[in-house]
Amino acid sequence: MAEKLKGYKGKGLELLKKNDIKIWDIVKIKANEGDFKGIILPRNEYSAPGYVEIKLKNNYNIGINALNIIQIEKIGKKEAHYKIPEKQFPKNKKLLNIKLLGTGGTVASRLDYTTGAVIPSFSPGELFSSVPELADICNLETEIVFEILSENMKPEYWQKLAEKVEKVANLGKDGIIISHGTDTMSFTAAALSFMLKDLSIPVVLVGSQRSSDRPSSDAALNLINAAIVARSDLAEVVITMLGSSSHDYGLIHRGTLVRKMHSSFRNTFRTINDVPLGMVKNRKITMFKKKYQKRNKSKKTRALIKFEKKVALLYSYPGLDNEIIDFYIDKGYKGIVLAGTGLGHVNTTIYESVERAIQENMTIIMTTQTLHGFVGMDVYSTGRELQNIGVIPGKNLLPEVAFVKLSWVLGQTSNPQEIKEMLLKNIAGEFLEREIPIAFNYNIDNLLKNNKL
Amino acid sequence: MIIVEKYDYKKIGLKCGLEIHQQLDSKTKLFCRCQNKLQGTRAPDFTLKRFMRPVLGEMGTYDEAMLTEYEKGMSIIYEGYNDVICTYELDETPPFQCNNDARRIALEVALLLNANIIEEMHVCRKNYLDGSVPCGFQRTMILGKDGYINLENGKKIGIDILCLEEDAARKIKTENKINYFRLDRLGIPLVEVTTDPDINDPQECRECAERLGLLLWTTNVKKVLGSIRQDVNVSIKEGTRIEIKGVQKLDWIPVLINHEVSRQLKLVEIKEEIEKKNLSPKDIPNKSIDLSKVMAKTNCGFIVKGIKSGKKLFGINFKGFKGIFGKKLMEDYRFGTEVASKVKSISGLKGLIHSDEDLKKYKFSDSDIKILKSFLKSENDDCFVLVLGTKKDVDRAMNVVVNRVKLAFKGVPPETRRALENGNTDFLRELHGGARLYPDTDSKAIINKLEEIKEIKNNLPNYPWITIKEYSKKYKMEERQIKELIFTGNLNLFKNLMEIYPNNPVLIVTTLLETKKALRRDGKEVDHIKNTDYKDIFSLLKKKEIGKEAIEELMIFKADSPELTIQQIIKKLMIKTISIEDLNTIIQKIIDNSIELIKKKGIRAMGPLMGEVMKEVRGRIDGKIVSEELKKIINNKIKE
Repeated sequence: MAEKLKGYKGKGLELLKKNDIKIWDIVKIKANEGDFKGIILPRNEYSAPGYVEIKLKNNYNIGINALNIIQIEKIGKKEAHYKIPEKQFPKNKKLLNIKLLGTGGTVASRLDYTTGAVIPSFSPGELFSSVPELADICNLETEIVFEILSENMKPEYWQKLAEKVEKVANLGKDGIIISHGTDTMSFTAAALSFMLKDLSIPVVLVGSQRSSDRPSSDAALNLINAAIVARSDLAEVVITMLGSSSHDYGLIHRGTLVRKMHSSFRNTFRTINDVPLGMVKNRKITMFKKKYQKRNKSKKTRALIKFEKKVALLYSYPGLDNEIIDFYIDKGYKGIVLAGTGLGHVNTTIYESVERAIQENMTIIMTTQTLHGFVGMDVYSTGRELQNIGVIPGKNLLPEVAFVKLSWVLGQTSNPQEIKEMLLKNIAGEFLEREIPIAFNYNIDNLLKNNKL
Repeated sequence: MIIVEKYDYKKIGLKCGLEIHQQLDSKTKLFCRCQNKLQGTRAPDFTLKRFMRPVLGEMGTYDEAMLTEYEKGMSIIYEGYNDVICTYELDETPPFQCNNDARRIALEVALLLNANIIEEMHVCRKNYLDGSVPCGFQRTMILGKDGYINLENGKKIGIDILCLEEDAARKIKTENKINYFRLDRLGIPLVEVTTDPDINDPQECRECAERLGLLLWTTNVKKVLGSIRQDVNVSIKEGTRIEIKGVQKLDWIPVLINHEVSRQLKLVEIKEEIEKKNLSPKDIPNKSIDLSKVMAKTNCGFIVKGIKSGKKLFGINFKGFKGIFGKKLMEDYRFGTEVASKVKSISGLKGLIHSDEDLKKYKFSDSDIKILKSFLKSENDDCFVLVLGTKKDVDRAMNVVVNRVKLAFKGVPPETRRALENGNTDFLRELHGGARLYPDTDSKAIINKLEEIKEIKNNLPNYPWITIKEYSKKYKMEERQIKELIFTGNLNLFKNLMEIYPNNPVLIVTTLLETKKALRRDGKEVDHIKNTDYKDIFSLLKKKEIGKEAIEELMIFKADSPELTIQQIIKKLMIKTISIEDLNTIIQKIIDNSIELIKKKGIRAMGPLMGEVMKEVRGRIDGKIVSEELKKIINNKIKE
């Protein structure tokens, strides 16, 4: 019963129960504010108690105070059964074979007009119905690997995904698209970058910032751009999303240098400390970077999937206390990534605990919360002291990328010397030798306009 | 002058409804805190390019109107300003809280319309693919339901629903398949009032629209040109409900309705005619024929030029359709116009040629016509249609032609039409299906509290039609003038000025209506004259510090120099009243210089002399006094 009256509470729930009315029933209501006719809707569980929510014939939804309802009567039932039209995704021998792996984000979806809920469309047939342009680009197969909210992502899912990529790549597919929620997309991109050794084909993560049920969605264009990258010669883990607020071009970001930089903008993803690898516009790729891993089907892709889960990412702030570090030591953590201030600093009062942590075999790596720039731990004496204690300077690593890398490295080895070596080795393009002057404040639109890319 | 044909509206079963959109005068927009202010012709700071895609509807199909819009292949450029547009309008940030002031104004309107207030409002999304809203949908919510408005004769017109919603962006132009929209208007709070189809007569419809307008303009709504927009829905028994958008003047309403009645009646006649000929939609060919080769050397210049530049000429023949395309539906509007206006709207082509027209006007030679007829297999009883354009546009256009001709068998196809100045309408878009309205998952439900409703109900203003009668009696003015005060947004100011200067209501009305209008016509920025300025002017008048002749001059000065106060302007103009003694000195001086004139003309010299005196004293003393004094002195002079 409770399930059948989803979201109803208080007087509203009582009234419906008493009159044996269920969700999707068509009802006639006599209330103090007049007469109403409509379909009883499921209700958001955080909405106010005491109301009955209906969809009127003109499709507007309204809530009526249960206390004002004099009479409610069931006169019919209309449950919506939604189905996305399936059309056979056409096969074309001249086109490359791409596999789309689903993780729970919706790149294409349709709408439940009654509740506003988004129904994902995922099978090739469904996708062909909603983004038919894909059929001009590739042959498509799809598979749902798991279905989670992006914020619930964790290393176990990364592992599952990497194993799937390994299998698909070695089975001879030409490229992989991974649909992913945008919140933790850059974490997954970094994780796959480190795990996948000798990657033979492109792996493109894609999502949308405006869900695909709205006409202004970026989903279809992102998906089309991702398919273009997935059939290219770029055999790296990359993110492809819109490069500006306009529906104009997509940017290709290396999986270890990219970050979500705005809570809601379409062009939220940015390559940090460098310009992106390239762009996709009107189904054509222009590379900005000449050095990248090329497609090579003779390679055998291997997924090195072990991760250490006891790794923390700690954001430095004025007043950060020893207790916090001690907590991680006592809980048996194996590593901490510090997102320090400026060139890579934390307040000196926690040095004592940092030192203790390192003595107890914890690996501590320093990054900067400015995100842009390298850590420079030789400049001030505090930085030198931290290095002396044993904190590893993380160069240009983004804090999140350092976190993923440290977790992965600690999964690969427990030898302190090897840990340090692996951490400082450029495994997936995460380290930059130099920061090009425009890296900090580049504006892709301006660079394109002036032909500087 | 448009001649209005009259019909037996009862017999043809005329039903009309109104949909009125009115902007509210809250400080900020409905779902973000950007200023509620249009930027006029100011150049935009930035632009953005977007595309809209149709979304699958309830039954897994696409809404016809949305698909048509998509197939036009249009892209959109949004133009914005850094200081008055935020990322919400760009569809880059979720909505903020619903504007409380706007909600209260809408509640007042709903209560004036005797509507039942919806206690828990749910924000819904209404899809639009034309680009007028960057997110692709308008946020809207029902606030009131089942109200009514009284007409003068006591007839009640039902108010179906009253919605609080966001205004769309302002369309600037269409160029090279790009629609340009300015974002300043987007998000301004609106009430949408929809009546029931209770109206059965064109004049009644005009009256209802006027009453709704008057009622809205007695509340805190925006009172400027373009802040109110009305749509009329028209149907007759044998026809279909047609939505006519963009009715800009009340006087258009009866004309538009009559023309639409004519169009629907004639379309029904066409349906009967083709049925009588035993034709059916199956007789309509789906394929058109490429005539580009055979007509490459026609006598018609623009076709030759078009084909040379790579365009295609396609033709199609409709069996038994002779005379149908030429049939007049409304003034200057034939069935051919009807098809062409749809072709224009959907394919972007300029139009079509049909054989019910005089083909000689396109300079087709007799042999051209012979070739056309033979290639299209067109007999004497048939009608053929020609379309010129790129292959893609022609395909799309021919598709429109075929589909529209097929619809002739159904009589009046449902669609949304646009009102034109000549009282006609043309095709705007397919009628939107209901399945484009769905809950907004970005916002919480909004509660209208009972105490709040009660409080607003207890403080409702008078109905304007009562106010009009009252004022016209009280101030001995025509009802028309009071109405105009309301429709120019000046009623409250009039009331305030009457308190300051009760002596002369006519002067106040003339100032607020005629003087303002005349100055605006002269290109003066009368909007620079604020309510406080009018109050200052009439206070000075009351204190007799200025004469009423100074009003216009002060207004002109203020319009030109908005940074000055009325006091500062007076100082600059040295407008100061003069005493009768001073006046007499001035008059005496002028008369002394004009002895010859007085000798010649006697008292008739009064006219030219009055002008000279006024030149010196205008605005500093009442003209009536000047004339009296002048008369006295001239008479004395004559006696001398």
